[in-house]
Amino acid sequence: ALLPYVPRVPPATLPGKLTATTFALERPCCIFDRHANVSDTIWLVVAFANASAAFRNPPSRADVPLYERLATTHSYMTLEMAAAAYACSAPSPAILRVGGDTACGGQGGRDPCNGPLPSPGPYRVKFLVMGCHGPKAETRWSDPILLRRASSPSTIDPVPARRGSDAVVIASILASLGGALAVAVLSAMGAKAWGSLCHQDSGTGAFAHRSYRTHHIPPALPQPLPPGCRCSPPGLGCFAPWPAS
Amino acid sequence: MAKSGDSIHIFQGLLVFGNVVIGMCGIALTAECIFFVTDPHGLYSLLEATENDDIYAAAWIGIFVGFALFALSILGIIGVIKSNRTLLLVYIILMLITYAFEMASCITAATHRDFLTPNLFLKQMLERYEKSETVNNNDKWMTEGVTKTWDKLMLQKQCCGVRGPSDWQEYTSAFRIMHSDADFPWPRNCCVMDAQGSPINLDGCKLGIPGYYNSNGCYDAISGPMNTHAWGVAWFGFAILCWTFCVLLGTMFYWSRIEY
Repeated sequence: ALLPYVPRVPPATLPGKLTATTFALERPCCIFDRHANVSDTIWLVVAFANASAAFRNPPSRADVPLYERLATTHSYMTLEMAAAAYACSAPSPAILRVGGDTACGGQGGRDPCNGPLPSPGPYRVKFLVMGCHGPKAETRWSDPILLRRASSPSTIDPVPARRGSDAVVIASILASLGGALAVAVLSAMGAKAWGSLCHQDSGTGAFAHRSYRTHHIPPALPQPLPPGCRCSPPGLGCFAPWPAS
Repeated sequence: MAKSGDSIHIFQGLLVFGNVVIGMCGIALTAECIFFVTDPHGLYSLLEATENDDIYAAAWIGIFVGFALFALSILGIIGVIKSNRTLLLVYIILMLITYAFEMASCITAATHRDFLTPNLFLKQMLERYEKSETVNNNDKWMTEGVTKTWDKLMLQKQCCGVRGPSDWQEYTSAFRIMHSDADFPWPRNCCVMDAQGSPINLDGCKLGIPGYYNSNGCYDAISGPMNTHAWGVAWFGFAILCWTFCVLLGTMFYWSRIEY
C-alpha cells in the first residue's frame, strides 16, 4: 500500500539538521497505525536520488540491503523500529537522525547500521513497513536531500576591508603635532644659536631673573667747611675769629 | 615692572599646572597599560597565534612612557620654578624623545586594532583548534594556547565558534580531521553543560535544538576586551600627547625668554 505521507527534513531552523554526513527527518506520527500490526517493523530506506526509481522493496528481511553495501547497491535500509515507535501515543522525540551512529558498520554484522553517509548525496528516503511475509506498506519518496559540503578555511580572507577612520585620525593628527614640535624646537635652537653667533644684545623683553645688577656706589667725598667759621681743637666749639689788632 | 613680574608668575604657574597634569596622566597611563598587559580576559594566546600582537607591544611601551612622563614632569616643574635653562633644555629634549615613543605606541595600537577581524579569528580557530600534527615546538605551543583559550571561552561565555556553530559546518578544520562530523558537528564545549561538566542533552546538542547548545558566536567576547585595550591605549595616549604638545610649546617659549 502506498501511503501519501512524504518524509521531509524538519522545517525548523536547527543548525544540525543537515551536516556533512548526517541529516534529520521528522518522525512520522499516526501514519502507519492502520497498516501495521504490533509485530511489524518500519524501516527507513535511504537511496541516492538517481537510484531511487530503480529501488525494489526487498521481499523479506533477509534481503534487506544494509549500510555496508551502500557503495554497490546505491541504497540501504536502516533505523529498524517497531511499529509502536511511530504510533500516535508514542512519547517520541519529534526528530530522527540519519547517520548518527559512528560505532557500527565495518564489523560485518547483520544488524542494520545507521552509519554516517559517505557523500553529500543527494539522497531520497521513504519509510517501509515490513511484516513477516514481506513489505506491507510504504510512504512516498522524499524530495532530494543534499548534505553540506564544507569549504576549506584557506578561502577565508582575514585582511580587513578598509582601514578604520580612527586610525587615520590618530595617525595624521599625531604626526602633524610631532612635526610641529620638531620644527618649533629646531627653530628655537636655531634662533638662539644665530643670536649668540652674531653677539646681539638680547635685552628686549627678557625676563629678569636671579642675575643681580650691582650698582657701584662711590664713597662720599668730605664736604668743605663753610667759610667764616674756623673750629679750634675739638671741645672748644666755634668762635668768632680773633679781632685783628 | 610689577605687571611683567605678575605675568611671568602666571605663565610659570600655568606651566607648573601643565606639568602636574602630565605627571598624573603619566601615572594613569602606566596603570592602565599594566592592566592591559596582565591580560585579565586570557585572550593573549589568540593574538600570539596570529603573530600580530602589536597592541601588546603598544601597551608595554605605554608603561614605560607613562613612567617617563611622570619623572619628566617633576623635572619640568623644578626647571620652571628655578628658571634654569639647562634643566629646561634637558626636559625639552627628553620630553621630545618620550613624545616620539608615545606617538609610536598610539599609532601602533590604533592601526593594529583594524587587523583583528572576525575572519582572522575564524581562520585561526579552524586551522589551529585541536590540531593534532604540529610541525615544531612553536607551532605546538601556539596550538595548545589557541585550544585552551577557545575551550575556556566557549565554556565561560556560552558561545560557539566565531559567528556561531555553523562555522564548524561551513568549513573543514583541524578539528574535523580528528573528530567525525556525525559525532561532533561542533565541539563538545558548544553544548550547554550541567554542573558536572557534561552536556545536558548530547543528542539535542548535536541536532542544534535550542536550549541544548550555545547558538551565539564568540566574536563579541573576543573583540570587546581587545577593543577596550586598543582604544584605551590609543585614545588616552592621544589625549596626553595633545596636552603635552601645548605644555611643551609653552616651555620652549619660556626657555627662549630666560636671560642668563
